[in-house]
Amino acid sequence: MATMREPLRNDVRLDGHPIQEPAEELKTRTNHRWSYARRRILLMLVSAVIRPALFFLTLTYLMGQVLDPFRLQVIGFLILFAVMPVVFVTFRELTEARRGIAALGVVGKMTHSELSNVGARQDAMRDEIKDSKLYIDVIDNQIGDSMTESEREVTQVIEQISLLVQRSNQQREHIGRSIRSGKDLTEKTEARVETNKQIIAGIEMQLAEQNGELRSTYERIQGLADEVCALTPLIKVITSIAQQTSLLALNAEIEAARAGSAGRGFAVVAYEVRKLAVLSTKAAADIGGKINATCKRVYAELHEVKASIELHAASNNISHLIAELGHMQEEFATNSQLLLEVIGEVDANYAESVHRLSQALGHIQFQDVMRQRMEHVQDALHEMREHLLRLAETHDDLGWDGTIDPSFKSILAGHFDQYRMASQTITHENISGKRSTADHSRPAIELF
Amino acid sequence: MAMTVLVVDDSATMLMSLKATLSMNGFEVETAGNGQAALDKLSSGLKPNLILTDINMPVMGGMELIGKVRALPGFRFIPILTLTTESEASKRDEGKRQGATGWIVKPVAGDDLVKVIKRVLPGA
Repeated sequence: MATMREPLRNDVRLDGHPIQEPAEELKTRTNHRWSYARRRILLMLVSAVIRPALFFLTLTYLMGQVLDPFRLQVIGFLILFAVMPVVFVTFRELTEARRGIAALGVVGKMTHSELSNVGARQDAMRDEIKDSKLYIDVIDNQIGDSMTESEREVTQVIEQISLLVQRSNQQREHIGRSIRSGKDLTEKTEARVETNKQIIAGIEMQLAEQNGELRSTYERIQGLADEVCALTPLIKVITSIAQQTSLLALNAEIEAARAGSAGRGFAVVAYEVRKLAVLSTKAAADIGGKINATCKRVYAELHEVKASIELHAASNNISHLIAELGHMQEEFATNSQLLLEVIGEVDANYAESVHRLSQALGHIQFQDVMRQRMEHVQDALHEMREHLLRLAETHDDLGWDGTIDPSFKSILAGHFDQYRMASQTITHENISGKRSTADHSRPAIELF
Repeated sequence: MAMTVLVVDDSATMLMSLKATLSMNGFEVETAGNGQAALDKLSSGLKPNLILTDINMPVMGGMELIGKVRALPGFRFIPILTLTTESEASKRDEGKRQGATGWIVKPVAGDDLVKVIKRVLPGA
């Protein structure tokens, strides 16, 4: 062994610290180990000698008894089967005895101080193994505290996200209400504008009808006025006839005066005719004047009516109003659509936010995955701590035969059965080179 | 009317994150910290449309919970999804035998979780 060949110091331990135990104690401990080794070797030698001796004595005795061949064969087989385990056991003990003798030989070559140093090193190793408990406990708690802190922080993140989600939900409800209100308003306004358009169209139609009737009445009055005014020339004719009749009556009156008493009666008639002619002339002039005056007034009125009709006909106020309303309706519809698009965009953004938050929350689940993985590491640390403490206790057990059960290898192999995740198994396989029988090949989401 | 999901997990962060994810997607969410707490809620009259449960929990694990829920009157056909870090095939088969509807391995993206839930919950 390398430690045997190196120059030994009996004043320091393996870790370089000076040996604290008194020399007497070391000497006692070494002597104790010596006597134990001697006892073991003696026992093994005795066992290795006595058992075969007994076996051969028995065999000789039986062979000495003269038996028939069949019985001899049976007894021979029985002895053979009974002796085989004894032979094997003896062989094993002889092997151990040889090892003990070899060790004793090595020990025998060592000085007392060297032996003391070996004991001190073993004790240092035992103490070191025991100290691993504190080391492992500290690491274990470091992991535990880190996980607690991580969980606390993640919890706060989730709380913040939940708050955000809550507010987003409220906002979404607002958006939903806005969309509904916007649609209602648009529909109602469109319906109202449509109604107004119909009302205005009705008014326009009525006005057009009234305008037509007015034009017709105007035309009829104008025709009547034209007919009345057309009487003016007739008045002139009547006046002219009356004037000529008056002249004729005057001539007849002159001629009757020339006829004397024979023409007296005719003179009276002529006089009356002339008077009638004068009256007719006056009446005709009067009628003519009145007709002229009436015509002038009627034409003046007709002129104004005509101007009014033309003005009314030329006016497109109502049509303009309808066009304005239509335009307003289109503009309103466009703006409403724009508003709905904006609201829709906000809603789409909200959906996108929900999607991203969902993804983020999914990633947060990884904290739980990590926690479970770290819990397994903690369990493994506990296992290691217990194992090392067992080793330290075994070290002090003088009856320990060198068997380590469970060993680190078997404990590690047992971890394959404790893994929950494929990632744990893969890490183990990559480092240890061993293959797990676990099947993690099925998809992450599986419906039965 | 919003559908109700009962989420069962011993991890506070999981409960919170799942509650937020499902609420965002229009579900009502009830939570329980282990199988026994979930059973108590069901016994007291809660009638969820779906149960989403972890497997490894203190007091009562997910496997036992699934078996007991299936034995309750009126819960024979309710969808039960597991959400667990366990990905080994034999565990999944055990879950299937107990009466699970599906098996989801953590971590799962929120969208994928909602898709699976909507798939097993027609009308959700």
